[in-house]
Amino acid sequence: MEFLEWFMPTVWFVILALFLLLYVILDGFDLGVGILSLTSPSESQRTILMTSLGNVWDANETWLVLMGGALFGAFPLAYGTILKALYGPIYLMILGLILRAVAFEFRENAINKRPWNLMFGIGSVLAAGSQGICLGTVLSGIPTDAAGHFTGSAWIWVNPSSLVVALTLIQGYVLIGSTYLILKTSGELQRLHVRTARLAAATTLGGALLITFTAPFASEALRQRLFDPAFLPFFVVLPLLGVALIVQLFRSLAMQQEVWPFVYTVLLFILSFAGLGVMVFPAVIPPSVTIFQASSSVSSMVFMLTFIGVLIPIMLIYNIYNYIAFRGKVSAE
Amino acid sequence: MLATLDVVTLSRLQFALTAIFHMLWPVLSTGLAIYLVVLEAIWLRTRNPLYYRQARFWAKLYVLNFGIGVASGLPMEFQFGTNWAPLSEFAGDFFGSVLGFEGAMAFMLEAGFLGIMLFGWQKVPPVIHFLSTVMVAFGANLSVFWILSANSWLQTPSGGTFSEGHFHVQNYFAAINNPFMVRSVIHMALATVETSMLVVAAISAWSLMRQKAPEFFLFSFKLALVILLAVAPLQILAGHESAVQVAEHQPTKLAAIEALWDDQAAGSSPAWTVLASPDEASGSNRWSLSVPGAFSWILETRPQLSQPLRGLNSWPADQRPHMVGLLFYAFRVMVAIGLAAAALMALSLLLWWRGGLSAASFAQWPWFSWAWILSAPAGYLAIESGWVVRCVGRQPWTVYGQLRTADAASVLPVGEVLTSLSVFAVLYTVLLVFALYFGSRIIAKGPNLTLEPPAGLATAVILSDASESA
Repeated sequence: MEFLEWFMPTVWFVILALFLLLYVILDGFDLGVGILSLTSPSESQRTILMTSLGNVWDANETWLVLMGGALFGAFPLAYGTILKALYGPIYLMILGLILRAVAFEFRENAINKRPWNLMFGIGSVLAAGSQGICLGTVLSGIPTDAAGHFTGSAWIWVNPSSLVVALTLIQGYVLIGSTYLILKTSGELQRLHVRTARLAAATTLGGALLITFTAPFASEALRQRLFDPAFLPFFVVLPLLGVALIVQLFRSLAMQQEVWPFVYTVLLFILSFAGLGVMVFPAVIPPSVTIFQASSSVSSMVFMLTFIGVLIPIMLIYNIYNYIAFRGKVSAE
Repeated sequence: MLATLDVVTLSRLQFALTAIFHMLWPVLSTGLAIYLVVLEAIWLRTRNPLYYRQARFWAKLYVLNFGIGVASGLPMEFQFGTNWAPLSEFAGDFFGSVLGFEGAMAFMLEAGFLGIMLFGWQKVPPVIHFLSTVMVAFGANLSVFWILSANSWLQTPSGGTFSEGHFHVQNYFAAINNPFMVRSVIHMALATVETSMLVVAAISAWSLMRQKAPEFFLFSFKLALVILLAVAPLQILAGHESAVQVAEHQPTKLAAIEALWDDQAAGSSPAWTVLASPDEASGSNRWSLSVPGAFSWILETRPQLSQPLRGLNSWPADQRPHMVGLLFYAFRVMVAIGLAAAALMALSLLLWWRGGLSAASFAQWPWFSWAWILSAPAGYLAIESGWVVRCVGRQPWTVYGQLRTADAASVLPVGEVLTSLSVFAVLYTVLLVFALYFGSRIIAKGPNLTLEPPAGLATAVILSDASESA
């Protein structure tokens, strides 16, 4: 039992991280393409952008729903406390996702597509930005009482550091969206998104550097973790790997490669995500509430794991099949 | 007036608004998916392009509806954290797990195969496409199962113990299979199929009335009618069974939906109130129209009550639902629509049987067409009324008998909830208007009657035609 009380919350922390990572990568490029659609030079090119998402955006968004459900079931305390603290940005994100989804369907049927184009792009920016604000606020810490209940103000999320994270995440989504479009398009449109990818890679890098160097000042807990000798090798290797990947990304863009820019971007996302994960673990409500305090009962987590654990590979398989069925370049129908 | 609103009321209003709006969309996602499976099966079996065109036309409405359903589902899930954090903590062990299952088992299945179902006609073999349509329908119906199981648990919590402000699960299967679960899942699943078929029949009737694509819409109408034939009578039975379980497990709700103020002894034979003006202040009805001795017939199909029934007045005011008038009439609206739909179905069947149901009948009898056209909004109204009965009738409890709604709500600044509520109210009104506008455009445009099946399949058709003629 001792073992399970340590093991189950850890497993669920990893599963949650997996769902969130899949969401950030997959809906990340959806949202990135959505933001990029604001700059599409023509309606037919915008149609290609939208078509590249048609069969996947909905399943991609579902990883967020899954993450929410898993957080609710495995760490009910964290679900209540974090979402209550992030009331404003959570609803802004929901608003953005609703606008995005609805504009997508309405545009299909509209003669005058312009208002829906605008709504699609703005919804994507709003969703991406508010996700960044949520992330930034959680990383810099959510004040709680001894029972783990939120004690901060309703405006806790309004601060410079969460704004920086938000802007960086938007750039990151534009980057992964651009590299996805390099993969899915050809000709003029592809060349355009090589340029947007290069630009977004530079701005994302700038944001990431800013976050990295200001993180130690953001909270005491982060400072301790970053300078903890036990984690030192990790925090030395991570940036080195990051630099190598960024160099590779720029090289592959310069060489007009189609697949590699996307792969390197995904690897960069995974790397940043691993860095953030190690920074907060085992806190689920940073800085102080750990997964062991916030978890549901062991039996509950075991029960959920037996169902959802079996389903994870199955979900991955049919999602991958979906991508395989629609592989290749998108053409304007 | 707004200044007097407390945050619990605002969070309740927001939940009610978002739930009522959200409920409009999963109806077709679930029920119409089954219709699409049937159409595609007929198409694969007959290889007649008419059925392929049917599948493609109804799928257009399906996707318009689906996107809004997905989007409006998000606030449902996240509200449990933002506005109902104490409930999340109280019941998260079970309630959160079930929402997680719904996501992993049902929602992802539906979303993962939807792309192939909608855009994959040319991309995958017909069998895989059919399988994808089946998975979409299966996923949607699994959603009904999990969501209704979770909601039923709020109605009849079981499978564990309550202590220290927490629900501790002891038997998951007992909690999932709580007393309300089976009959609620059946009632809801039938409701989605019935209303979806009413929508198909209504659109078909409207088009037939104007003699648009008569052959196409006469088929879709008849297929919907055949499915309704199985579903509508079953739904009346399922509805009755649901009322019986309410009588057994939630006496306060039963008393409220029947505006029953005073206790009724076992062996008595109370009147059944058809219409009334319930007055909570005096604990009685201002006036009522009732059928003597009918109550026990309706509830138990016997002349006298076998069990005593407690009236609303026998509970303290803080242990029973309020808004008795709303509950009383919401219940009656639902029942009346269910019965009327069954009657319309029986009438149409009679016409069909007597050979009078042709494409021309709809233009000839506008009243008949209009009855069908109006049945679609009526179906939605019945579903919404049913949910009002179910959830307003559960008050003052969020977890029946265990957690009060007032204790389940997060303590939030009033302005915060008021803002999100107002944004939802405006946004959802606009979305509904445009969804109806674009939906009616798809209907007005009608099906593409020259659409050819995917190339690979066309060859298969030619080959099978050739082998048949040979």
